[in-house]
Amino acid sequence: MLVVLGKADILLFDRARTTVSDALAPVLDAVAQPLGTVAAGVRRVEDLFSVYSENQRLREENQRLLQWQEVARRLETENSELKNLLHFEPQDVHGYITGRVIANSGGAFLRNVLVDVGSREGVERGQAAIAGEGIVGRVAEVGTRAARVLLVTDLNSRIPVVLDSSRDRAVLAGDNTTRPRLLYLPGKATVKVGDRIVTSGSGGIFPPGLPVGVVASVDNGLVRVEPYAELSHLEYVRIVDFGLSGVLPQSAIPMPKATKGARRAPDAETP
Amino acid sequence: MRESMKPVLFQRDTGLFNRLMPTATTILCVFATVIPIHLPGFAVVTPAFVLVAVYHWSIYRPDLLPFVATFAAGLLLDLLNGAPLGISSLVLLLSRALVVGQRGLFVGHGFTVVWAGFVGLAAAAAVFEWTIVSVFYGLLLDPRPFLFQAVLTVSAFPVVSYFLVRAQRGLLMRA
Repeated sequence: MLVVLGKADILLFDRARTTVSDALAPVLDAVAQPLGTVAAGVRRVEDLFSVYSENQRLREENQRLLQWQEVARRLETENSELKNLLHFEPQDVHGYITGRVIANSGGAFLRNVLVDVGSREGVERGQAAIAGEGIVGRVAEVGTRAARVLLVTDLNSRIPVVLDSSRDRAVLAGDNTTRPRLLYLPGKATVKVGDRIVTSGSGGIFPPGLPVGVVASVDNGLVRVEPYAELSHLEYVRIVDFGLSGVLPQSAIPMPKATKGARRAPDAETP
Repeated sequence: MRESMKPVLFQRDTGLFNRLMPTATTILCVFATVIPIHLPGFAVVTPAFVLVAVYHWSIYRPDLLPFVATFAAGLLLDLLNGAPLGISSLVLLLSRALVVGQRGLFVGHGFTVVWAGFVGLAAAAAVFEWTIVSVFYGLLLDPRPFLFQAVLTVSAFPVVSYFLVRAQRGLLMRA
């Protein structure tokens, strides 16, 4: 009965969920912290054994990165000159909000994490969450001091993306496997393994150009993407505050301002 | 008369703690499920600790883990997990009803029998959960994670069970 009810009245249940997550955030935080410390300790011991090879690897990587830095510098100046020519208005990045993962869904069909930052820190619904090199997911619920991030691998996750090389648009759809699928690729699009995927920014959910992952397999039109971010053991995520209004169902879709959206907006948005 | 009253009174004093213990351990299992362990891929197949707790208490002290507590534990789990509300409650309540109905099979038997019984329950719960979640989302989900989770839950059973038995012994000693 509750299950059916939950499907019907999503707003009420969302609020209940947020309240509980909020109330228990300090408790979860307190338990998660020592566990994280233990995990870090174990990793440090493991690292000791690979210091030499790691050092070697880093030196090589450093060489390579220095070259890239050179390239990036050149491109940056070129880019800014071209922007000047076009009078381009850059999208302002307000900053990052870093949160620690305090709970992850222990379920066979759920892919989300709870982080210890909320509206107090400026987190808003719909913002992108990234970890390491790529996107992790988007903020699905926000409480005062905790927020839930829906991972890109979750069944309900849909993210507008674009193939970096061909600029073909698609939707990255999670299906609870470790590699989400690409949906709605144009028929003529040619995808090959190793193609880079970034967010397209369409729909205004995410800012364009955030790295998502690489194409891992192309099989009979079924394209799977390996996310850059290590989703299996997230410890910290950064919520990206791009100053875009998060567009998500049931939380005030900005388009019909005069009608339903406007009336619903205050009661859905204000905590 | 007065002599026989005394133990009862004593029992009453420590009774609240004892009576809350099964519920408390079940709630603890809820937290154990959601706490990030930072093991790669572990979150997906975290053992259903709560199911172990519900199974254990349904066999040994069903009176101390009432339906309300089972429901609340499931609800809390769903809230923290971000799962559709009520699914865990439903699974746990049905498990409780099933086990309480059959507890005669397990009470007084050795650990192997109890564990074997749990294998059956874990399998049934996995199938049921997979079905209901598939219906909820309106599509066929990959059953493998559910299977892995059930296997891991069964493997974790002795450990969780050990702690629950310890807790129960403490309960008996105090009572």
